[in-house]
Amino acid sequence: MTGKLYNFSKLLILVGILSLATGCATTQNNDPLERGNRVVFNVTETLDKHLIKPIAESYVDVTPVPVRTSVTNFFNNLGYLNVILNDFLQGKFEQGITDMLRFTYNSTFGIAGLFDISTPIGMPANNEDFGQTLATWGVDQGSYLYLLGPSSTRDITDQVPSTLLNPFFYMSGIIFAPISALSAVNTRANLLEQSNIRDEAALDPYSFTREAYLQQREFKIHDGEPPASGYDDIFGDDGDDVGGDVGNAGDEEESGMLVIE
Amino acid sequence: MTLNLQHLLKTTIFISLTFFSCMIWAEIEQEQAIYAPVNELHTSLLRIMENAETNSFQERYDIMEKTVVTHFNSPLIAKVILSRHWKTLDEQAQTDFIDLFNRLTISTYVDRFDAFDGQSFKYLSIEQMKKNRFMVNTKFMRPDDDPVSFSYIVQNDAGQWKIISVIANGINDLSLKRADYSSVIKEKGFAALISSLNEKISDLQPK
Repeated sequence: MTGKLYNFSKLLILVGILSLATGCATTQNNDPLERGNRVVFNVTETLDKHLIKPIAESYVDVTPVPVRTSVTNFFNNLGYLNVILNDFLQGKFEQGITDMLRFTYNSTFGIAGLFDISTPIGMPANNEDFGQTLATWGVDQGSYLYLLGPSSTRDITDQVPSTLLNPFFYMSGIIFAPISALSAVNTRANLLEQSNIRDEAALDPYSFTREAYLQQREFKIHDGEPPASGYDDIFGDDGDDVGGDVGNAGDEEESGMLVIE
Repeated sequence: MTLNLQHLLKTTIFISLTFFSCMIWAEIEQEQAIYAPVNELHTSLLRIMENAETNSFQERYDIMEKTVVTHFNSPLIAKVILSRHWKTLDEQAQTDFIDLFNRLTISTYVDRFDAFDGQSFKYLSIEQMKKNRFMVNTKFMRPDDDPVSFSYIVQNDAGQWKIISVIANGINDLSLKRADYSSVIKEKGFAALISSLNEKISDLQPK
């Protein structure tokens, strides 16, 4: 437990340094750390291709769908306290109360979260995290960051509450290690379809992943209803030379716009 | 005098009602016209899904080709995606790129929408954007899975409303491709982009 808290404090320091180092550095270019990000991306992609993805595919082959659904439900439920906290931090009190009920129902009648009995009775899962909370408080997304997956200097801060609020974090190492491994494999298995679509469509998987991540974050921050005006930027009606979506290309040279009449 | 006032009142009400009816009718007509290309696309997608087992890839490709060529403003899409690189291409290269991009779009649709299991599209709303652009919001309903939010940016092109962007669950295909393609052009050049796109199209064909 002490060791885990020590490791966690190291994570906190890393999150803090990354946020401070790059948080103020972004205006149009969302990826000033591109060179380093690409190195980490290539390492994780290689690791994924040769180790994690094959394990996840084997897991899908041998595990029946209802079992995988229950494993996903279990881990989602464990992480749900973080959703509840962020409901309240964003001022969504009604949603927060519903999510508390959802967590209670699934943890008890749903047998430790193995079964999602709340969705069929009108309490579907919500998607909230600390990065979204900071966004609703007006904090800029900061720099794009690729560690174990796509993130940003704002969104990475979610590691702190999501780790501390996960009951699993306080379990002993003997239980923690194998369940962590199962959680990782199950998460990767759930992303197989998405990653296959990406591999099928992307010419440069790094740019593709970054762009998709940043756009989907905006979608989640606005609870699936982002303002239509946000999609106007790419057309550069005002003749801006930089801006909006294209700034994500990480290079002002690449972000020249055309004025579309 | 009273009769004249009554007559005037009736006439005013009649003119006002006619005026407002015409306005509402015009608005409904415009909404229908804006939604039309999206509806055509959805109809074609459902058709290729329903016929996935009986029709060949080429037959389904032909259905989608007609829809994409007619209801997408491909020249504008290509221009936005290539951004500043567009201006560096001569007319023939631009035409070739539009053709290549259309083939990729059509092949992708045929490859992805390849099975029917009771899916349907649901119209939600239309929102006005800048420069006479509109966003048509819809949902792709899947019986055994979460719905996918599909929004389309539609713009008038010489009197015909055409799709200029597709947004799936918040991810704008136009921005995604623009970032992706510009990265390839920057690192390897335009010829490499064309070569990669041809490869992608070839990968999507049935083996």
